Amino acid sequence: MNSLEKKGSKEKKIIATRKGCKAKGTGLSHYVLMDEKKK
Amino acid sequence: MSSTKKHGHAPSRGLHFNTGNGETLQPLDIGHPQYIGLIDPDTAFWALIKKDELGHALTEGTFLQQYRRKAAKFAAEMKGFRFGLAPSAVYFNPTDRCNLNCDYCYIPESLRWRGEHMSQEKLFSALAILKRYFRKSLPKDVKPQVVFHGAEPTLNKEALFAALKEFERDFRFGIQTNGTLLDDADLEFLTSCGIAIGLSLDADIESVASRTRKTWHSESVYAKVLETMERLRGYPNYSVICTVTRENMHRLTRTVDFFHHKGVPTCMLNPVRCTREGARALKPADHAMSPHYLAALDRTYELYRETGRKLVVANFANVLIAILAPQARRLMCDISPCGGGRSFFAVSARGDMFPCSEFIGLTAFKGGNLFEDDIPRVLETAPFCQVTSRKVEEIQPCSRCAIRHFCGSPCPAEAHEMNGGMDRSGAFCELYEEQVRYGLRLIADERHEAYLWDGWDKDTVTTLDIASL
Repeated sequence: MNSLEKKGSKEKKIIATRKGCKAKGTGLSHYVLMDEKKK
Repeated sequence: MSSTKKHGHAPSRGLHFNTGNGETLQPLDIGHPQYIGLIDPDTAFWALIKKDELGHALTEGTFLQQYRRKAAKFAAEMKGFRFGLAPSAVYFNPTDRCNLNCDYCYIPESLRWRGEHMSQEKLFSALAILKRYFRKSLPKDVKPQVVFHGAEPTLNKEALFAALKEFERDFRFGIQTNGTLLDDADLEFLTSCGIAIGLSLDADIESVASRTRKTWHSESVYAKVLETMERLRGYPNYSVICTVTRENMHRLTRTVDFFHHKGVPTCMLNPVRCTREGARALKPADHAMSPHYLAALDRTYELYRETGRKLVVANFANVLIAILAPQARRLMCDISPCGGGRSFFAVSARGDMFPCSEFIGLTAFKGGNLFEDDIPRVLETAPFCQVTSRKVEEIQPCSRCAIRHFCGSPCPAEAHEMNGGMDRSGAFCELYEEQVRYGLRLIADERHEAYLWDGWDKDTVTTLDIASL
């Protein structure tokens, strides 16, 4: 097998993922919520 | 249970995609050499499939069965996210006024020039009202947020800082400021309290940055903002917004370099919001802006590879998160209904309540007054409901767009003022097409984590991971 074939065989035939969580969204585009960190 | 009752009015068991009660699967050319996208736009499900495997995948593969087992759950997630949230943040203008006169500002000039400051007494009263409201409306473990915004909140510094001290246990505070009026003592106070700080700078060089952001006498504030950025170097809780217009889009890659060099941890490259006429004059065509925007995103990746330090472009990161984990979004502009009036609302210096800061100055969208009206009742007023009921399903061409739940057709204020109605699309469309395609290419190449905050998914669980066709 040459290097191109080796590369192709490692590629997944499908990528499909999803993560779930409690909804957190509150921000609007004029401001981004940062994590609470102090200096 | 009969087929009709289980699947809706049509007697179809939903066995086949794209017909009857079956799911909708739209192919999406993402511009990748090996992969093509497949999206169920209603549930925001996506899959990237090798192009030469697509036919087999759709007709003989098992991946669809794996998705179908989760489809109802994903649909419920999207429904809950789009229609089921309660406000947990307020964008609060402690003054109408600003010391700058930026070309694209959404606050009317007359307000910024002659508007009022909220007195300390009234500010404390307002925050007490909000504290009582959120105590009833939010779970005990959720701390509501108040972002002081404007206009320029530090023009009312004494009242503002007093409020930050008085209510520090009750809210997570943030401040969006032009950064020109903060001295060392101010910054020491804000950073010691862990207040999130947002600044604005539109380019790496003064001649371009000052085209759109300047004083009332058209003087540059570039040096002053840089000074503030330098003082904030090392403070992780700050970000810089670059509003992208036809004036500065050619310098986006250099601006990203500049932000990275200055140690900025997070930035936004926000396409100019076209709610007001002054902003519309600065709007570039989507296809003109997109290449510069994507090149700037590419540059953040290169910088990360070269230095090991990320510069997260938060508005793009939000689009990526919308794809990977729809409920984990931080920003609520690129979903419909947007967050205005439902995840957050805005309060002016007079206590007037609007669905979002973009509507301050549009008196028809005032829903009530914080000092006079019951907050839950204001949320149900016609002006608020106009925004909270705006759905992509009722907008063209969004209703048939595969990526409608990764975009949301922002923004309702823009749509109403620029395009004639809440049932119209917003100012940009092709720019979102290109962002989503770019994001999916990153996922295909497993490069997307470089564009996201470290630990962005720490509170998430994997609900789908299809590894075979």
